[in-house]
Amino acid sequence: MDSKPVVDGQRQAELQRAATPGVAAEHPLRIYREPLPAVFPAELRVPEVRLQTPAVGQRATRPDARLHGLGQTRYIDDMAFPGMLHARIKRAGVASARILRIDTREAEAMPGVMAVLTGRDIPVNSFGPSFQDQPVLADDRVFHAGDGVAAVAAVTEQLAADALEKIRVEYEPLPAVFDPLEALREDAHQVHAPANNVYARKVIRKGDVETALAASAHVFEQQYRTQMVEHVPIEPHAAIALWDANGRVTLYSSLGRITLGRADVARTLRLPVNRVRLVGTIVGGNFGGKNEITQEPVLALLSKKTGRPVKGVYTRNEEFTASTTRHPFIMDYKTGVDRDGRILARKVRLVLDGGAYCSWSETTLGKAAILSVGPYRIDHLLVEACVVYTNKTMTGAMRGFGAPQVCFAYESQMDEIAAALGIDPLEIRLRNVFVNGSSSPTGQVLDSVVVRESLLQAAERFGWKEGGA
Amino acid sequence: MKRRGRGLACMWYPIGFTVTANPSAATVKVNEDGTATLLTGTVETGQGALTVLGQIAAEALGVATDDVHVVSGDTDTMPMDTGAIASRTTYVTGNAVKLAAEKARDILFEVAAPLLGVRADQLEARDRKIQVRAFPQRQLSIGDVALQAQAVKGQPAIGSATWNPPTVPMDPETGQGKPFNTYVYATQIAEVDVDDETGEVDVLRVVAAHDCGTAINPMLVEGQVEGGISMGLGFALQEEILFDAAGRQVNPNLTNYIMPTSLDMPEIEVDIVANYDPTGPFGAKGVGEPTAVPTAAAILNAIHDAVGVRITALPATAEKILAAIKARRAAAGKTLTA
Repeated sequence: MDSKPVVDGQRQAELQRAATPGVAAEHPLRIYREPLPAVFPAELRVPEVRLQTPAVGQRATRPDARLHGLGQTRYIDDMAFPGMLHARIKRAGVASARILRIDTREAEAMPGVMAVLTGRDIPVNSFGPSFQDQPVLADDRVFHAGDGVAAVAAVTEQLAADALEKIRVEYEPLPAVFDPLEALREDAHQVHAPANNVYARKVIRKGDVETALAASAHVFEQQYRTQMVEHVPIEPHAAIALWDANGRVTLYSSLGRITLGRADVARTLRLPVNRVRLVGTIVGGNFGGKNEITQEPVLALLSKKTGRPVKGVYTRNEEFTASTTRHPFIMDYKTGVDRDGRILARKVRLVLDGGAYCSWSETTLGKAAILSVGPYRIDHLLVEACVVYTNKTMTGAMRGFGAPQVCFAYESQMDEIAAALGIDPLEIRLRNVFVNGSSSPTGQVLDSVVVRESLLQAAERFGWKEGGA
Repeated sequence: MKRRGRGLACMWYPIGFTVTANPSAATVKVNEDGTATLLTGTVETGQGALTVLGQIAAEALGVATDDVHVVSGDTDTMPMDTGAIASRTTYVTGNAVKLAAEKARDILFEVAAPLLGVRADQLEARDRKIQVRAFPQRQLSIGDVALQAQAVKGQPAIGSATWNPPTVPMDPETGQGKPFNTYVYATQIAEVDVDDETGEVDVLRVVAAHDCGTAINPMLVEGQVEGGISMGLGFALQEEILFDAAGRQVNPNLTNYIMPTSLDMPEIEVDIVANYDPTGPFGAKGVGEPTAVPTAAAILNAIHDAVGVRITALPATAEKILAAIKARRAAAGKTLTA
């Protein structure tokens, strides 16, 4: 075993000194060292548009735009507190396994490493917006390669990263399933046995789809698929935790939903909600990826263990592998139309790759199922949708909650129908779209409907009738 | 050879959570000089939500955008909010803000009414004044009324309110119900060049006509549309997380996961479709997520129009398109001339 010191003697002395309470304030905290540039003139000119009434409809500039433009916006990573430590989380790197042993001794012995945390240290080790099926750090099982298995707080981020290398985890590999259609099979590996891989279903039924399909002049059938993508915000998930002397924890976080984030943090830490304060800052991009807690309980517990503020900032790798992503969809569309291109019946089957945990899958499934029919008047329809566990990165909320996926399918098929019947793509949509008073797939009478106007306006601006610009 | 194509796609999208309660609360405090502070539990995630919420409060109080300072993002001091999700901020939080501002304004009306010799319900707040409806020359400045309310009447103008969109649960067997209180609609049209020798797609132009009800701030609506189209473009053509056989991501970095940059962006023309939804604050609905919804469909339809191939699995990479072009040529019995 490698027992060589990871740092030389002089650096070690420096780090030990930095790690000693009392001298922590001398720790190199960039923000206090750099003089602030003079960007706050006494007389600021307020843009005229912010001074006009009435306010609604004005192209008012944003107060935060000045900060962004001057580089003065303080994101989490621009913030520091005296004595602050840096946390990093060790990722499993294996997709499905039982954890036999975690040996943190060597990491804990490293100079500058102040605390190590594993799943056992989390008071309530589960969270999630629909089902609480996700551990904060893995307990005894790993369900996808991005699962956190241990966390370290150290005096520098580099030391914390080095310490992760010294944590030894022994795994017993378990079967895994990665393909959502395979995961649907009876004999498939059940990711969260005894629970079935199918963890949510949605059905929308209206009229008599089979009879209407049989009576249709033409029936179009096609499968469409979409891929897994990441939100890729410029600012990764970031948070700082610190406790006060009365046992209240404050978390500065890049979360987009602080009220619910506070409740989740309180639950995992088993604290009354009023002992948790969550401070949201200007978020550097969310797109749905910052809708639930991630590392906040880990940072809070590391801070509690060390008595020091603890900051965690996800690496770009973690943004991809350990935060939520967009659901890959497998979509089967069968649509019956009459000779004029009026849609008579539509049958949709959606299978969503839900990844290792539910996260916002239930919401995504529901929205996708409702929207999958498209903004079209269709009397006979059947939508059957389900989301399945796989041993992959969890999928969750992302701008559109399944709508971009189903729109790709229903609008691709609309063009196929138009081409087959020799109808202009604009014209076939105008013949089918909702109008005020139309009934939605769920039987809701719609008002405030302007899809027809949007089609005509876009076509006019584009020059559609003239054959393009 | 580069071949030009055009494709269109329309969509519908709901505002707020599916059936589930997703309330927002807000507090509006009118200061002694008629300026105001808005407290909200949502956070600014870059979309300009706080500016829009401030404009809604300003409109309800009859003051300018700059007169309302918006404070957000601290669970110790802010009223609860379901947060920046589901394109709900303008609509749901906005309704709560409007109601809170109206409560604060009603206190100003109560204080101003005897001074102007009318009933409170005969007053309106406009242009930083509290004035008699149809008799705008009978007016007091909002600052004078606010000071009077606080320092003389001992009744500072503060209002708090909550709002939650009404829904009806969906039947588990048939899905019938009213899962959302309102929806928005949009159409995007893409113009592309496809190189039929390489499969490479160049998105030249996207025309986007979006409904958001009343555009509280048209500039921020345009910003959302432009951002949404960039996400839609990446989804259509480039982005994909890939896994190895053991379930590990192989490209979790910005070198091998290819995102669109400013160089990939088409010319974008944004049209806001005129609409007014009586259930939204001053007729507003929302616009955040829908902007990313129809882009990929429009681009894929444009690719088909350009080179006659239909890619049914995203992303439509150059490799996939070229393979489809070759297959199409082979099927047509032609020899490949590339």
